Amino acid sequence: MSTTLPSDYAAAPVLADVLPPAKKRGRVAMFVHRYPTIAIGGALLAVIVAIAILAPYLWTVDPTAIAPAKRTRAPSELYWFGTDMLGRDIYSRVMFGTRVSLAVGFAVAAVSSAVGLFIGLCAGFVRILDTVVMRVMDGLMSIPSILLAIALMALIGASVQNVVIAISIAEIPRVARLVRGVVLSLREHAYVEAAIASGTRVPKIIWRHILPNTLAPLIVQATFICASAMLAEATLSFIGAGTPPTIPSWGNIMSEGRALWQVKPFIVFFPAVFLSLTVLAVNLLGDGLRDALDPRLAKRI
Amino acid sequence: MFAYIIRRVLATVPVMAIVALLVFSLLYIAPGDPATIIAGDQASPADIEHIRVSLGLDRPFLVRFGSWVWDVVHGDLGKSIFTNLPVTHMIAQRIEPTVSLMLITLVLSLALAIPLGVVAAWKQGSWIDRFAMVLSTAGFSVPVFVIGYVLAYVFGLTLEWVPVQGYTPISEGIWPWFQNLIMPSIALGLIYMALIARITRATMLEVLSQDYVRTARAKGVGQRGILFVHALKNAAVPIITIIGIGFAALIGGAVVTESVFAIPGLGRLTVDAILRRDYPVIQGVVLMFSFVYVLVNLGVDLLYTLFDPRIRY
Repeated sequence: MSTTLPSDYAAAPVLADVLPPAKKRGRVAMFVHRYPTIAIGGALLAVIVAIAILAPYLWTVDPTAIAPAKRTRAPSELYWFGTDMLGRDIYSRVMFGTRVSLAVGFAVAAVSSAVGLFIGLCAGFVRILDTVVMRVMDGLMSIPSILLAIALMALIGASVQNVVIAISIAEIPRVARLVRGVVLSLREHAYVEAAIASGTRVPKIIWRHILPNTLAPLIVQATFICASAMLAEATLSFIGAGTPPTIPSWGNIMSEGRALWQVKPFIVFFPAVFLSLTVLAVNLLGDGLRDALDPRLAKRI
Repeated sequence: MFAYIIRRVLATVPVMAIVALLVFSLLYIAPGDPATIIAGDQASPADIEHIRVSLGLDRPFLVRFGSWVWDVVHGDLGKSIFTNLPVTHMIAQRIEPTVSLMLITLVLSLALAIPLGVVAAWKQGSWIDRFAMVLSTAGFSVPVFVIGYVLAYVFGLTLEWVPVQGYTPISEGIWPWFQNLIMPSIALGLIYMALIARITRATMLEVLSQDYVRTARAKGVGQRGILFVHALKNAAVPIITIIGIGFAALIGGAVVTESVFAIPGLGRLTVDAILRRDYPVIQGVVLMFSFVYVLVNLGVDLLYTLFDPRIRY
């Protein structure tokens, strides 16, 4: 059934658009607009991860090949970042060094999150353990982390694996504390009490109610741990207590350039730039994730 | 008040005991025989035996721990394997440059970071706020030794405003002493400043939205009075907490900064000890710095009561 309008009906005139039509953004652009720090940090980190994976194909030569005749050459068309005092190509060393830094950063973040999560859950749920474990954690946190790592490295010897262990031990208490705090506050919530009252077993409570709520702060914390672990690895290598000198890592390149920094500053400069950019990328990612995952935290720091 | 202070001071004793136990048991965490590892790959069996005896590794754990604690309480941190001098003696020789460096860094960081954080909070969103935030993100990302090299290169080598490297004892004049330490202090302080400026800004933003700030404004208190008297005093507790916690970064950074600027302090002692595999020295320095860190945080806790009389335990 259709109704015909009377011919003298005054229809409203078609109005011109008062507001310009909303710009149509693609998904990617939308994400970048909403979370600029995650986008910038993530993109930068993606480039660096790509460098680490593709290092052999990025016009690099053997980073350990010694060529005494060509030592300490300034950056040029042939040697993009110059050569070090043994004639090794710094560009290749920096590209391959990306692998060590990222591996240490990610491994420390993973190890200390996993161990810290376990300790934190135990301390949060088992009251007898709580006092003892947390006192030990407080004690560990009272030892400045770089010094703790130095002492450990002096005892367990130089290797990439040991660097990961030494830095992780210094970071574990921070994660354990965070997780324990979350567990203790979650346990007061009515839905957890309800789960306990209805006879849910502890493992299921942890899996269903505690873990999902721990994940957001844990991921943020892991990002910051990753950043500080990369700085710690470079620092340890720089003072000669980190990655063994045979492996090209950014800290090692800078450590070897130390003696010549006044006359050949480029040896220290290039790995320094890469290290700073990588840490910055991870820090930006962490800042962005923190703001995105927990808006309450954004105001606090 | 007095009882609180006594209780708080006594509460650090168990913390220090745990720290001592942890530092001590590090030797046993390492897989394998610690004497062999410390001696290194080129050591002869006699060297290893010498280290084993000098570290007391031939005795049982608890006996060794007992006598070690007894020695530490009496100010004896053992003897260096390399120089055979008492570790306390070696620390005493190297302590002046490190204390000087940390003091200047501390004063500089507080003098710059707190006003920066306050102004950033006051002018939220302005260029100075953005500058403070960019600076603090950069401060967290650039390693201390890189900042050190850049400063030494620009202000030491190129502009020749300050000596490039080295240290002059304070007994040879305040000005040369200060000139040598100003660049290392800035390099070391940047991460500390970043930390303090961030917390100051965040806490001030929270405090400035409180009713009592509005009241102060309503009764005609000037902007400076509001910021630095009413607001900053109420924001003090988180700020001094982060000053205490961040002190660990200062200690760790000092080790590296001293290597960059060739300052003969405790950091150099540690780095030399690493290269010489001189474990008793490393252990002594770690223990001493950890105690300093615990004491700094004790001081921070006691300051709480000064800024916020509501805090009582």
